[in-house]
Amino acid sequence: MKRVLLAASIVWCLMLVALAGVVYAQTPAPAAAPAAAPAAAPVAITDAAIKGLSGPSMADRAKGDPGGTTTGTVNDIPVGDMKKGLTIDDVVGAVGQNIVATNFVWTLVTGFLVMFMQAGFAIVETGLSRAKNANHTMMMNFMVYGVGMLAYWIIGFAIQMGGVSPNSNLGGLAPLNGEFVIHLFGKDWGLFGQHGMFLTGATYDVGVSVMFLFQMVFMDTALTIVTGTAAERWRYSAFVISSFFMGAFTYPLYGNWAWGGGWLQNLGANYGLGHGYADFAGSGVVHAVGGMTALAMAIIIGPRIGKFKRDGKPNAIPGHDIVIVLTGCFILAFGWFGFNPGSTLGAATNGNLRISTIAVNTMLAGMAGSFGAMYYMWLRYGKPDASMTGNGLLAGLVAITAPSGFVNPVGSVIIGVIAGVLCALSVEFIERNMKLDDVVGAISVHGTNGLWGVISVGLFADGKSNYGGSWSGVPGSVTGLFYGDAGQLVAQLIGVATLLGFVFSFSFALNAIIELVWGHRVSPKTELEGLDVPEMGALGYPEFVLKPEAAVEV
Amino acid sequence: MDVCLQGGTMALVGLVVTLAGFALSALSVGLTSSTGGRLGMVLVGLVMCLFGIIGLINPAYQKNAVWKK
Repeated sequence: MKRVLLAASIVWCLMLVALAGVVYAQTPAPAAAPAAAPAAAPVAITDAAIKGLSGPSMADRAKGDPGGTTTGTVNDIPVGDMKKGLTIDDVVGAVGQNIVATNFVWTLVTGFLVMFMQAGFAIVETGLSRAKNANHTMMMNFMVYGVGMLAYWIIGFAIQMGGVSPNSNLGGLAPLNGEFVIHLFGKDWGLFGQHGMFLTGATYDVGVSVMFLFQMVFMDTALTIVTGTAAERWRYSAFVISSFFMGAFTYPLYGNWAWGGGWLQNLGANYGLGHGYADFAGSGVVHAVGGMTALAMAIIIGPRIGKFKRDGKPNAIPGHDIVIVLTGCFILAFGWFGFNPGSTLGAATNGNLRISTIAVNTMLAGMAGSFGAMYYMWLRYGKPDASMTGNGLLAGLVAITAPSGFVNPVGSVIIGVIAGVLCALSVEFIERNMKLDDVVGAISVHGTNGLWGVISVGLFADGKSNYGGSWSGVPGSVTGLFYGDAGQLVAQLIGVATLLGFVFSFSFALNAIIELVWGHRVSPKTELEGLDVPEMGALGYPEFVLKPEAAVEV
Repeated sequence: MDVCLQGGTMALVGLVVTLAGFALSALSVGLTSSTGGRLGMVLVGLVMCLFGIIGLINPAYQKNAVWKK
């Protein structure tokens, strides 16, 4: 009976979504505006005219400004030459700097939000691990920030963004003009950037610094995905080595191809495939790169002792604190408002007012993802599983990350619902069919749904975003198959093939070498005892009484 | 030891197949100008990638899985 009720409620939800889509599609176009009166001829502004402008007097300002009407006037425009007084150059310079300043502040603040996501990842992963590994799991999440940042500062940023110039939002980024290209089929194929190592020389620059900070926190998000999959059995020293190389090479390479002026980004301009590979905020660049590396690690490092019985059936190994898991999911959802809207790299001009729609798309897809996963688990297992519902929220957010800039709210909800169900299905497939042990479900949340997010751009992009009139050098906006451009879907699928074929292989080879030279896995004794004391020297919860391992059925 | 060697070879073949799938997809843009033709090649490349990972590399490592010991 319960299942019938649940099925009926799902059908109702789907009908509501479909109805919303129909209403959206049938909304009549606004009536044509009446013909405007002929515009007056423009009047040239001269230095002389500007000199005559005056703001409130000091005496007026001294009275205070509770209404905010006398603060921010002509008095606040800096004068370049006191002898000449205020000139047009001064005014235009102030306008330009205001635009760039707005974009700087927006990008920096959203970058700070993304940085805080590390805290969300840390407690989600620690909560889903057993208490005996809490210190170790937390430390991996804590130090992945530092290890990744060091690698990215040394070389990763240069590889990814060393040839990204120009960028009109952040003042041009002219020092980042060194893309290494090869010529193939008569076109340039960008492979990696060359400027920006250590942020020295010309890249000691205010605009480049903004770009570095924002891209660095994205890279760290990708790195921290892997620690969730390999938790509870990964040697700390191997984690440091692996994360360093991922931050230095794996992530930046794909990041360059998609965002830094590389070959994927230019598939539209060079080969007429839509607007080239379009990944607005990184379903592919961040999440699928992390997910593919996590998949490679899960294969190499193997499952935890006790995860599978001798007949291959999986045992459930519950985490120790579902409260912090769901709290962490909320922190991540909050941080995602930096991740997606911040990826405009600006709030002023160039179509950047789209940030409001991107924020709404983000929250809607997250909601839809949690519903999709919750209903799936409820129907299949009779209970709305908490950790899977949290993962569903994250799956919806991961999936909307690439399309958030290009789709409408109805598309976002559809993408999110599919992501939630896909997450649950993928967890089952990876555990039961592939016999892999993914402690937090990161391969499904970030890998599977990262790929789904990339594909969904090629399906649902509605051609309305219009960033600066073009995307990756192709006029017009990104448009998916459902709105008439099949070429965009092909570009997205090439991105998916690159993630599966190149990023996975590169990560696999890198970590297989580390396995050969150093070894990824702790000893069975250490694993059974818990990694906290042998690896870190202290328990995460020294006053807890930990249960012995005997409870696991084999 | 023999099982390890067989597993190693299988994983290596899987890696080659996976990379070949990527190469086919990426180079499809230069091999034909038709969108349908490119789509077909990319889909074949994707299947190769998935087969390399799920059908070859993972089974190679599962031969010596800890739960089988």
